[in-house]
Amino acid sequence: MTKETTIWLAILAVGAINYVARLSFIALFARRDMPPLLDRALKHVPAAMLTAIVVPAVVFVAPGVLRLDPGNAKLIAALAALAVAAWRQSTTLTIVVGMAVLWLAQYALR
Amino acid sequence: MRAHFSRPAFFEGVRDMTPVLIGIVPFGMVCGIAAISAGASPLAALAMSAIMFSGAAQIVASQLIAAGAPLMVIILSCLVVGLRFLVYSAAMAPYLRPLDHRWRNVLSFVLTDQAFAGTIQRFRASDDLRANASYFLGGGALLWVVWQVATLAGILVGQVIPASWQLEFVVPLSFLAILTPLLRDRVTLLVVFTTAVAVVALDAMPMRLSLICAGLIGIVTGVIADTMRGEHD
Repeated sequence: MTKETTIWLAILAVGAINYVARLSFIALFARRDMPPLLDRALKHVPAAMLTAIVVPAVVFVAPGVLRLDPGNAKLIAALAALAVAAWRQSTTLTIVVGMAVLWLAQYALR
Repeated sequence: MRAHFSRPAFFEGVRDMTPVLIGIVPFGMVCGIAAISAGASPLAALAMSAIMFSGAAQIVASQLIAAGAPLMVIILSCLVVGLRFLVYSAAMAPYLRPLDHRWRNVLSFVLTDQAFAGTIQRFRASDDLRANASYFLGGGALLWVVWQVATLAGILVGQVIPASWQLEFVVPLSFLAILTPLLRDRVTLLVVFTTAVAVVALDAMPMRLSLICAGLIGIVTGVIADTMRGEHD
Protein backbone atom coordinates (compact mmCIF):
# COMPACT_ATOMS: atom_id res chain seq x y z
CA MET A 1 0.00 0.00 0.00
CA THR A 2 1.44 3.40 -0.94
CA LYS A 3 1.64 6.17 1.63
CA GLU A 4 -0.95 8.23 -0.26
CA THR A 5 -3.40 5.28 -0.21
CA THR A 6 -2.82 4.76 3.51
CA ILE A 7 -3.47 8.44 4.16
CA TRP A 8 -6.72 8.50 2.18
CA LEU A 9 -8.00 5.28 3.78
CA ALA A 10 -7.13 6.71 7.21
CA ILE A 11 -9.01 9.93 6.41
CA LEU A 12 -12.14 8.06 5.33
CA ALA A 13 -12.04 5.51 8.17
CA VAL A 14 -11.32 8.03 10.94
CA GLY A 15 -13.80 10.49 9.46
CA ALA A 16 -16.49 7.78 9.55
CA ILE A 17 -15.55 6.67 13.08
CA ASN A 18 -15.59 10.25 14.39
CA TYR A 19 -18.96 10.93 12.78
CA VAL A 20 -20.50 7.75 14.21
CA ALA A 21 -19.10 8.62 17.67
CA ARG A 22 -20.58 12.12 17.41
CA LEU A 23 -23.95 10.79 16.22
CA SER A 24 -24.00 7.91 18.71
CA PHE A 25 -26.20 9.11 21.54
CA ILE A 26 -27.76 12.01 19.66
CA ALA A 27 -29.18 9.93 16.82
CA LEU A 28 -28.29 6.24 17.01
CA PHE A 29 -29.08 4.84 20.45
CA ALA A 30 -30.65 6.08 23.67
CA ARG A 31 -28.53 6.57 26.75
CA ARG A 32 -30.78 4.23 28.72
CA ASP A 33 -29.57 1.23 26.74
CA MET A 34 -25.98 1.76 27.85
CA PRO A 35 -24.52 -0.89 30.16
CA PRO A 36 -23.75 0.75 33.55
CA LEU A 37 -20.06 -0.18 33.39
CA LEU A 38 -19.67 1.50 29.97
CA ASP A 39 -21.50 4.54 31.28
CA ARG A 40 -19.07 4.81 34.20
CA ALA A 41 -16.03 4.22 31.99
CA LEU A 42 -17.14 6.88 29.49
CA LYS A 43 -17.34 9.45 32.26
CA HIS A 44 -13.55 9.33 32.58
CA VAL A 45 -12.73 9.36 28.87
CA PRO A 46 -12.31 13.13 28.35
CA ALA A 47 -10.01 13.62 31.38
CA ALA A 48 -7.87 10.57 30.51
CA MET A 49 -7.55 11.22 26.77
CA LEU A 50 -6.97 14.96 27.09
CA THR A 51 -4.24 14.26 29.68
CA ALA A 52 -2.63 11.64 27.43
CA ILE A 53 -2.47 14.25 24.64
CA VAL A 54 -1.38 17.26 26.74
CA VAL A 55 1.29 15.79 29.04
CA PRO A 56 3.79 14.41 26.47
CA ALA A 57 3.58 17.66 24.48
CA VAL A 58 4.64 19.55 27.62
CA VAL A 59 7.17 17.40 29.47
CA PHE A 60 9.26 16.11 26.53
CA VAL A 61 11.59 18.75 25.08
CA ALA A 62 12.73 16.37 22.31
CA PRO A 63 11.66 12.80 21.45
CA GLY A 64 12.40 10.72 24.57
CA VAL A 65 13.96 13.65 26.48
CA LEU A 66 11.94 14.21 29.67
CA ARG A 67 12.47 17.52 31.50
CA LEU A 68 10.56 18.28 34.68
CA ASP A 69 12.71 21.23 35.82
CA PRO A 70 12.24 24.99 35.30
CA GLY A 71 14.66 24.79 32.38
CA ASN A 72 11.73 23.45 30.33
CA ALA A 73 9.95 26.56 28.99
CA LYS A 74 6.94 24.50 27.91
CA LEU A 75 6.46 23.24 31.47
CA ILE A 76 6.46 26.78 32.86
CA ALA A 77 4.06 27.93 30.14
CA ALA A 78 1.71 24.98 30.74
CA LEU A 79 1.63 25.65 34.52
CA ALA A 80 0.82 29.31 33.88
CA ALA A 81 -1.91 28.29 31.41
CA LEU A 82 -3.29 25.81 33.96
CA ALA A 83 -3.51 28.56 36.58
CA VAL A 84 -5.27 30.88 34.13
CA ALA A 85 -7.69 28.17 33.01
CA ALA A 86 -8.54 27.39 36.64
CA TRP A 87 -9.05 31.08 37.42
CA ARG A 88 -11.02 32.06 34.31
CA GLN A 89 -12.73 29.44 32.20
CA SER A 90 -11.52 31.02 28.99
CA THR A 91 -9.85 29.11 26.16
CA THR A 92 -8.72 32.37 24.61
CA LEU A 93 -7.03 33.70 27.73
CA THR A 94 -5.46 30.29 28.44
CA ILE A 95 -3.87 30.14 24.98
CA VAL A 96 -2.76 33.78 24.94
CA VAL A 97 -1.13 33.54 28.38
CA GLY A 98 0.35 30.10 27.61
CA MET A 99 2.01 31.27 24.39
CA ALA A 100 3.18 34.56 25.94
CA VAL A 101 4.78 32.76 28.91
CA LEU A 102 6.35 30.22 26.54
CA TRP A 103 8.00 32.96 24.49
CA LEU A 104 9.11 34.90 27.60
CA ALA A 105 10.50 31.79 29.29
CA GLN A 106 12.30 30.79 26.09
CA TYR A 107 13.82 34.25 25.87
CA ALA A 108 14.78 34.31 29.57
CA LEU A 109 16.31 30.84 29.46
CA ARG A 110 18.38 31.50 26.38
CA MET B 1 -34.92 22.04 8.71
CA ARG B 2 -36.21 25.58 8.20
CA ALA B 3 -38.82 25.12 10.93
CA HIS B 4 -36.10 25.05 13.56
CA PHE B 5 -33.86 27.75 12.15
CA SER B 6 -33.52 31.01 14.02
CA ARG B 7 -31.35 33.52 12.24
CA PRO B 8 -30.60 35.74 15.27
CA ALA B 9 -29.61 32.70 17.37
CA PHE B 10 -27.39 31.41 14.53
CA PHE B 11 -25.46 34.68 14.40
CA GLU B 12 -25.36 34.85 18.18
CA GLY B 13 -23.66 31.44 18.05
CA VAL B 14 -21.21 32.74 15.44
CA ARG B 15 -20.46 35.83 17.54
CA ASP B 16 -19.96 33.92 20.81
CA MET B 17 -17.61 31.42 19.13
CA THR B 18 -15.43 34.14 17.60
CA PRO B 19 -12.99 34.53 20.56
CA VAL B 20 -12.26 30.79 20.34
CA LEU B 21 -10.69 31.43 16.92
CA ILE B 22 -7.55 32.77 18.64
CA GLY B 23 -6.80 29.16 19.47
CA ILE B 24 -8.43 27.51 16.45
CA VAL B 25 -6.56 29.43 13.74
CA PRO B 26 -3.03 28.46 14.87
CA PHE B 27 -4.25 24.95 15.77
CA GLY B 28 -5.68 24.47 12.27
CA MET B 29 -2.45 25.80 10.76
CA VAL B 30 -0.44 23.34 12.87
CA CYS B 31 -2.65 20.52 11.54
CA GLY B 32 -1.99 21.60 7.96
CA ILE B 33 1.76 21.85 8.59
CA ALA B 34 1.83 18.46 10.39
CA ALA B 35 -0.02 16.69 7.56
CA ILE B 36 2.26 18.13 4.87
CA SER B 37 5.45 17.32 6.78
CA ALA B 38 4.13 13.76 7.32
CA GLY B 39 4.07 13.41 3.53
CA ALA B 40 0.39 14.06 2.74
CA SER B 41 -0.52 15.86 -0.48
CA PRO B 42 -2.10 19.31 -0.03
CA LEU B 43 -5.49 17.85 -1.05
CA ALA B 44 -5.19 15.03 1.51
CA ALA B 45 -4.09 17.51 4.18
CA LEU B 46 -7.20 19.59 3.51
CA ALA B 47 -9.40 16.47 3.39
CA MET B 48 -8.16 15.54 6.87
CA SER B 49 -9.54 18.81 8.21
CA ALA B 50 -12.76 18.64 6.17
CA ILE B 51 -13.61 14.99 6.93
CA MET B 52 -11.94 14.06 10.24
CA PHE B 53 -12.59 17.56 11.66
CA SER B 54 -10.75 16.76 14.89
CA GLY B 55 -7.45 18.43 15.68
CA ALA B 56 -6.39 15.75 18.15
CA ALA B 57 -7.05 12.93 15.66
CA GLN B 58 -5.36 14.84 12.83
CA ILE B 59 -2.20 15.48 14.87
CA VAL B 60 -2.02 11.85 16.04
CA ALA B 61 -2.68 10.56 12.49
CA SER B 62 -0.01 12.86 11.04
CA GLN B 63 2.57 11.75 13.62
CA LEU B 64 1.81 8.10 12.91
CA ILE B 65 1.87 8.58 9.13
CA ALA B 66 5.25 10.31 9.48
CA ALA B 67 6.49 7.35 11.55
CA GLY B 68 5.32 4.92 8.84
CA ALA B 69 2.76 3.22 11.09
CA PRO B 70 0.37 0.67 9.53
CA LEU B 71 -3.18 1.76 8.67
CA MET B 72 -4.75 -0.26 11.51
CA VAL B 73 -2.56 1.45 14.12
CA ILE B 74 -3.53 4.87 12.77
CA ILE B 75 -7.23 3.98 12.82
CA LEU B 76 -7.09 2.41 16.29
CA SER B 77 -5.21 5.35 17.82
CA CYS B 78 -7.63 7.87 16.33
CA LEU B 79 -10.55 5.75 17.50
CA VAL B 80 -9.34 5.88 21.11
CA VAL B 81 -8.63 9.61 20.83
CA GLY B 82 -12.16 10.07 19.43
CA LEU B 83 -13.90 8.17 22.26
CA ARG B 84 -14.54 11.50 23.95
CA PHE B 85 -17.06 12.34 21.21
CA LEU B 86 -19.25 9.58 22.70
CA VAL B 87 -19.25 11.54 25.95
CA TYR B 88 -20.13 14.82 24.26
CA SER B 89 -22.81 13.08 22.22
CA ALA B 90 -24.33 11.57 25.38
CA ALA B 91 -24.31 14.96 27.13
CA MET B 92 -25.94 16.69 24.15
CA ALA B 93 -28.43 13.90 23.42
CA PRO B 94 -31.24 14.96 25.79
CA TYR B 95 -31.27 18.42 24.21
CA LEU B 96 -30.90 17.41 20.56
CA ARG B 97 -33.07 14.26 20.45
CA PRO B 98 -36.34 16.16 19.87
CA LEU B 99 -34.94 17.64 16.63
CA ASP B 100 -35.60 16.00 13.27
CA HIS B 101 -32.96 13.72 11.82
CA ARG B 102 -31.47 16.29 9.43
CA TRP B 103 -30.74 18.69 12.27
CA ARG B 104 -29.26 15.90 14.38
CA ASN B 105 -27.11 14.68 11.49
CA VAL B 106 -25.73 18.16 10.78
CA LEU B 107 -25.23 19.19 14.41
CA SER B 108 -23.47 15.89 15.18
CA PHE B 109 -20.98 16.56 12.40
CA VAL B 110 -19.90 19.86 13.99
CA LEU B 111 -19.74 18.45 17.53
CA THR B 112 -16.14 19.20 18.55
CA ASP B 113 -14.38 19.86 21.86
CA GLN B 114 -14.73 23.62 21.36
CA ALA B 115 -18.34 23.54 20.10
CA PHE B 116 -19.31 21.33 23.02
CA ALA B 117 -17.46 23.38 25.65
CA GLY B 118 -18.84 26.61 24.21
CA THR B 119 -22.52 25.69 23.96
CA ILE B 120 -23.42 23.06 26.59
CA GLN B 121 -23.97 25.78 29.22
CA ARG B 122 -26.56 27.44 27.01
CA PHE B 123 -28.39 24.15 26.42
CA ARG B 124 -28.50 23.58 30.17
CA ALA B 125 -29.68 27.13 30.90
CA SER B 126 -32.36 27.58 28.24
CA ASP B 127 -35.03 25.23 26.92
CA ASP B 128 -35.67 27.15 23.70
CA LEU B 129 -34.73 24.23 21.46
CA ARG B 130 -35.08 26.14 18.21
CA ALA B 131 -32.78 28.95 19.33
CA ASN B 132 -30.31 26.57 20.95
CA ALA B 133 -30.00 24.38 17.87
CA SER B 134 -29.42 27.40 15.63
CA TYR B 135 -26.94 28.82 18.14
CA PHE B 136 -25.01 25.54 18.10
CA LEU B 137 -25.15 25.41 14.30
CA GLY B 138 -23.76 28.96 14.10
CA GLY B 139 -20.81 28.23 16.37
CA GLY B 140 -20.15 24.83 14.78
CA ALA B 141 -20.33 26.18 11.22
CA LEU B 142 -17.92 28.99 12.06
CA LEU B 143 -15.46 26.50 13.55
CA TRP B 144 -15.67 24.21 10.51
CA VAL B 145 -15.17 27.00 7.97
CA VAL B 146 -12.32 28.63 9.87
CA TRP B 147 -10.73 25.20 10.45
CA GLN B 148 -10.52 24.69 6.66
CA VAL B 149 -9.15 28.17 6.03
CA ALA B 150 -6.56 27.79 8.80
CA THR B 151 -5.49 24.36 7.50
CA LEU B 152 -5.11 25.81 4.02
CA ALA B 153 -3.03 28.65 5.46
CA GLY B 154 -0.83 26.09 7.23
CA ILE B 155 -0.40 24.14 3.98
CA LEU B 156 0.49 27.28 2.02
CA VAL B 157 2.60 29.32 4.46
CA GLY B 158 3.62 26.71 7.03
CA GLN B 159 7.20 26.59 5.79
CA VAL B 160 7.83 30.29 6.40
CA ILE B 161 6.79 30.27 10.07
CA PRO B 162 9.97 30.22 12.22
CA ALA B 163 10.32 27.06 14.35
CA SER B 164 11.21 29.26 17.35
CA TRP B 165 7.58 30.48 17.51
CA GLN B 166 6.62 26.95 18.65
CA LEU B 167 3.18 27.35 17.10
CA GLU B 168 2.51 23.65 17.78
CA PHE B 169 2.26 24.48 21.50
CA VAL B 170 -1.29 25.81 20.91
CA VAL B 171 -2.33 22.14 20.65
CA PRO B 172 -1.65 21.20 24.32
CA LEU B 173 -2.84 24.65 25.41
CA SER B 174 -6.18 24.20 23.61
CA PHE B 175 -6.77 20.87 25.32
CA LEU B 176 -5.53 22.15 28.68
CA ALA B 177 -8.25 24.81 28.54
CA ILE B 178 -10.86 22.07 28.09
CA LEU B 179 -9.27 19.69 30.62
CA THR B 180 -8.87 22.15 33.52
CA PRO B 181 -12.59 22.69 34.27
CA LEU B 182 -12.96 18.90 34.61
CA LEU B 183 -10.52 18.80 37.56
CA ARG B 184 -13.17 19.25 40.20
CA ASP B 185 -13.34 15.95 42.06
CA ARG B 186 -10.78 13.58 43.55
CA VAL B 187 -11.46 10.69 41.18
CA THR B 188 -10.85 12.89 38.13
CA LEU B 189 -7.61 14.18 39.68
CA LEU B 190 -6.57 10.56 40.22
CA VAL B 191 -7.42 9.72 36.59
CA VAL B 192 -5.37 12.67 35.34
CA PHE B 193 -2.42 11.87 37.60
CA THR B 194 -2.40 8.16 36.67
CA THR B 195 -2.71 8.89 32.95
CA ALA B 196 0.06 11.50 33.13
CA VAL B 197 2.47 9.10 34.88
CA ALA B 198 1.54 6.26 32.52
CA VAL B 199 1.94 8.27 29.33
CA VAL B 200 5.44 9.35 30.40
CA ALA B 201 6.44 5.91 31.67
CA LEU B 202 5.23 4.21 28.46
CA ASP B 203 6.72 6.81 26.13
CA ALA B 204 9.26 4.32 24.75
CA MET B 205 6.47 2.23 23.19
CA PRO B 206 6.55 2.26 19.40
CA MET B 207 4.06 4.14 17.23
CA ARG B 208 2.75 6.27 20.10
CA LEU B 209 0.92 3.28 21.57
CA SER B 210 1.62 5.01 24.91
CA LEU B 211 -1.32 7.30 24.10
CA ILE B 212 -3.85 4.45 23.87
CA CYS B 213 -2.38 2.46 26.77
CA ALA B 214 -2.10 5.42 29.14
CA GLY B 215 -5.62 6.59 28.25
CA LEU B 216 -7.08 3.15 28.94
CA ILE B 217 -5.09 2.85 32.21
CA GLY B 218 -6.52 6.20 33.30
CA ILE B 219 -10.09 5.21 32.42
CA VAL B 220 -9.82 1.85 34.25
CA THR B 221 -8.32 3.65 37.28
CA GLY B 222 -11.33 5.96 37.33
CA VAL B 223 -13.80 3.08 37.18
CA ILE B 224 -11.98 1.24 40.00
CA ALA B 225 -11.81 4.39 42.12
CA ASP B 226 -15.53 5.01 41.63
CA THR B 227 -16.29 1.42 42.64
CA MET B 228 -14.17 1.68 45.78
CA ARG B 229 -15.90 4.91 46.73
CA GLY B 230 -19.23 3.17 46.16
CA GLU B 231 -20.50 5.70 43.67
CA HIS B 232 -23.12 4.33 41.35
CA ASP B 233 -24.55 7.49 39.91
